[in-house]
Amino acid sequence: MNAKKERVPGNGLGGRIINALDDDRLSQFAIPVVSIILTILAAAALLLVLGKNPATAMTGFLRGSGFMMKPIYGGGQSMLTDFLSFLGILAPMLLAALGIIIGMKSGMFNIGMAGQMLAAGFIATVFVGYSGLNAYLAKPLVILLGILTGGLIGAIIGFLKYRFNIHEVVSSIMFNYIISYIVAFFINTYYKDIITRSSRVCSAASRLSITGVTWGTSKLTLPLGIILALAGVFLVKFLLDRTVVGFEMKAVGLNRDCAKYAGVNVGKSIILAMALSGVFGGLAGVTYYVGYFNSIVPKELASLGYDSIAVALLGNISPIGAIFSSILITIFQKGSIYMSSTVGVPKEIASVITGILLLFSACGTYMRYLARRQRERLADKAKKEGVQ
Amino acid sequence: MDTIMIDGLSFALPLFIMAIGGIYSERSGIVMLALEGLQGFGAFVGAMTVILSRFYLGNSSPYLIYIAMVAGMIGGSLFSIIHALLCVKFKARQVISGVVVNTLAVALTTFLTSVINGIITGEASNKFQIGVSSRFTVPVLSEIPIFGGLFKNMYPFEIVILVIALYCWYLLYKTKFGLRLRACGENPHSLDAAGGDVGKTQFIAIMICGALSGLGGIFIAYSVSGIFSPTIYMGYGYLSIAALIFGNWKIPRTFAVCLFFGFARSVVYQLLLKLGMPSNYTDLFLILPYVLTLLLLIFFSKHNHPPRAVGEIFDKSKR
Repeated sequence: MNAKKERVPGNGLGGRIINALDDDRLSQFAIPVVSIILTILAAAALLLVLGKNPATAMTGFLRGSGFMMKPIYGGGQSMLTDFLSFLGILAPMLLAALGIIIGMKSGMFNIGMAGQMLAAGFIATVFVGYSGLNAYLAKPLVILLGILTGGLIGAIIGFLKYRFNIHEVVSSIMFNYIISYIVAFFINTYYKDIITRSSRVCSAASRLSITGVTWGTSKLTLPLGIILALAGVFLVKFLLDRTVVGFEMKAVGLNRDCAKYAGVNVGKSIILAMALSGVFGGLAGVTYYVGYFNSIVPKELASLGYDSIAVALLGNISPIGAIFSSILITIFQKGSIYMSSTVGVPKEIASVITGILLLFSACGTYMRYLARRQRERLADKAKKEGVQ
Repeated sequence: MDTIMIDGLSFALPLFIMAIGGIYSERSGIVMLALEGLQGFGAFVGAMTVILSRFYLGNSSPYLIYIAMVAGMIGGSLFSIIHALLCVKFKARQVISGVVVNTLAVALTTFLTSVINGIITGEASNKFQIGVSSRFTVPVLSEIPIFGGLFKNMYPFEIVILVIALYCWYLLYKTKFGLRLRACGENPHSLDAAGGDVGKTQFIAIMICGALSGLGGIFIAYSVSGIFSPTIYMGYGYLSIAALIFGNWKIPRTFAVCLFFGFARSVVYQLLLKLGMPSNYTDLFLILPYVLTLLLLIFFSKHNHPPRAVGEIFDKSKR
C-alpha cells in the first residue's frame, strides 16, 4: 500500500475504471459510482421486464422530488414546493445516516435507528407538541428532547454491549419492538385522533418546519431540519477527524484489543459512540415526526431508519459522502409516489432499488479485489511483452 | 387450556425451525441476521406457488400444503444464496450482508406481490389470500389430560417441523458433515488443514438455513395468519435469533426457549381475553417476550459461548 502503484499502461476506459477502483484515494469515489451505475442498469432492466420505459420512470423520480418540472401542478403547488418537501424528508435521512456512521466507525451497528426515532418523536410530541408553548421556546425544546431520548436509548444499548456482552443488533431490535408497542399503547389510549387513527396533530409552533409560507402563488413549507442535518455533517466530521474522543472511537472500531492495549477506555468509548449514534437517531426522529410529519402512526416503524443504513454504506461511511448518497436514495423514495402514479409501477420499487443499491455497495471490497486482480494480470502481461 | 397449548405450539415451532437454521449458519461461522428476510421470501414463494397451483389442482387439494412446504424451502434456500455469495465469496461484512438480504427481501416480496396480484386479479393488492391449511387431531394422545391440547388441531407443518428438527440435530452432532460444519465455526483453519473445504461447508450451511427459514415462513403464512402480506415481517426472524443466542447455539436448549416464547405469548393472550381488557392493553403485554428476552440475555449471556470464529472472514493465508 505504501509504494505508489504503477498504473496500467494505456487501456482506455476499462483500464481507467480498473485503476480508479483500486486506487487508494480514488476507490472511495469509484466504488459508489460503479454501484450506482450498476443499480440504475438493474432498475432499468426491471422496468423493461415490466414493460415500462425506464427513462420516463427515472424522470418521474426526479419530477416527484422537485428536481424537474412536472407537466401539471395543482393549486398552490410548484417545483419549489416539491423541492422543499424533498429537503424536509432529506433531513431525517441524513441525520439517521450520521448516527449509523458514528456507530460503524466505532465498530457498532445501530440497527435500532427506527426505534430511537420513534421514541424521540413521541416524547417530543407529547411533552412539547401538545403543550401550547410558543415557537421560540418549543422548537429548541423539541430538539433537546430528541437529543436526550435518543442519546439515552443509545447509551443503554452501548452499556448492555459493554457490561453484559449483549450484541447491539439483538438488543436494539428488542428495543425497537418494545418502543413500538409502548408508543402504540399510549397513542391508542390517550392521544388518538379518532378520524386518522394516528396520534393527534402536534402544534405548529413546535414543528421543526415553518408551514404556510406563500411565495408567489405557491404555498411552501420551510424545513428547518435540513440546517440541523448539515450542521450535523460537519460536527461529525470534526468529531471523527479532529478530536481525541473521535480518534479513540475509531481505534476501538478498528481493533478493540489494540485500542485497549494503547490505553483507550473501551467501555467509555463504546457507550459514548452508541449514545452519540442515538442522539442523531433522536434528532432524525424529531425532524421526521415533529417536522416533516406532524403526527405518529402507531405500530409503524419508519422504514427511513433502515434506509439510512443504505445511505451510510453507499456514502462509504463518511459524513460528506452521506450527503450525496442521502440525496440519491431520497430521490428514489420521495419521487416514487409521483413516479408510481404516472408510470403505473407499484411505488415499492423505490425500496427494491434501495435494496439493490445496498447489495452492490456491500460488494465494494470484492469489486476492489477484482480490480486489483485484473490490474495485476494486466501489469504482468505488460511486463512480459516488455521483456520480449 | 387447550387453546393455550394449540396457539403456543403453533407459535413456537416456526420460531424453532428458523432458529435451527440460524444455528446451522452461526455454527459454521457465518453471522445470520437474515432470518427475517429468508423466512419472508420463503413464505412469499410458497404462497405464490399455492396461488398458482390452485388453478390446476383446485382449492381443496390435499397436495397444496406439501407443494407449499417444498416451494417455501426452495424459495428460502435460493434467496439465501445472496447471503452465501456475499459472505463466503465476496467477503463482505456478514452483519451488513444480513441487513442487505432483509431489506431486499422485504422490498422484493412487497413489490412482486403487487405486480403479480396486478397480473392475476387486476388490482394491486399486496396480499396473497391463501387461507389456513387443514388441521388434524391425534386420536389417542389428545385424550391425555392437560397436555392433550398439544395434540389437538395440529397443523401438518408441526409434524414435518419436528421430524426435520430431529434430523437436523442428528446431522449436526452425529455425522461427519456436522462435525466439519461445527469446526468451521470454531476453528476453520483446522478444517482447512484436515483437507475440508471451508467455503463450501459454509455455503451449504447457509443454504440449509435458508430452506429451514423458508419452511418457518410458509408455516406462519399458511397457518397462523392465512395470508401472505408485508405483515409477515413482524420480527419472527429476529425473535428466533434471540432464541438461539439464549439457547446457547444448541438445538435442544433452543427448543426449550422457543416453547417458552410460544407459551408465554399464548398465556398472556388468553389471560387478557379472560380478564376482558380492552384491545389496546394487549400492546402493552406484547412487549413481554422482548423484555423477557433482554432480561434473560443480561443474566445468561455471561455463560454463553458463541462459536469462536463466528463473524470472522475466513482467510486461508492467516494460518
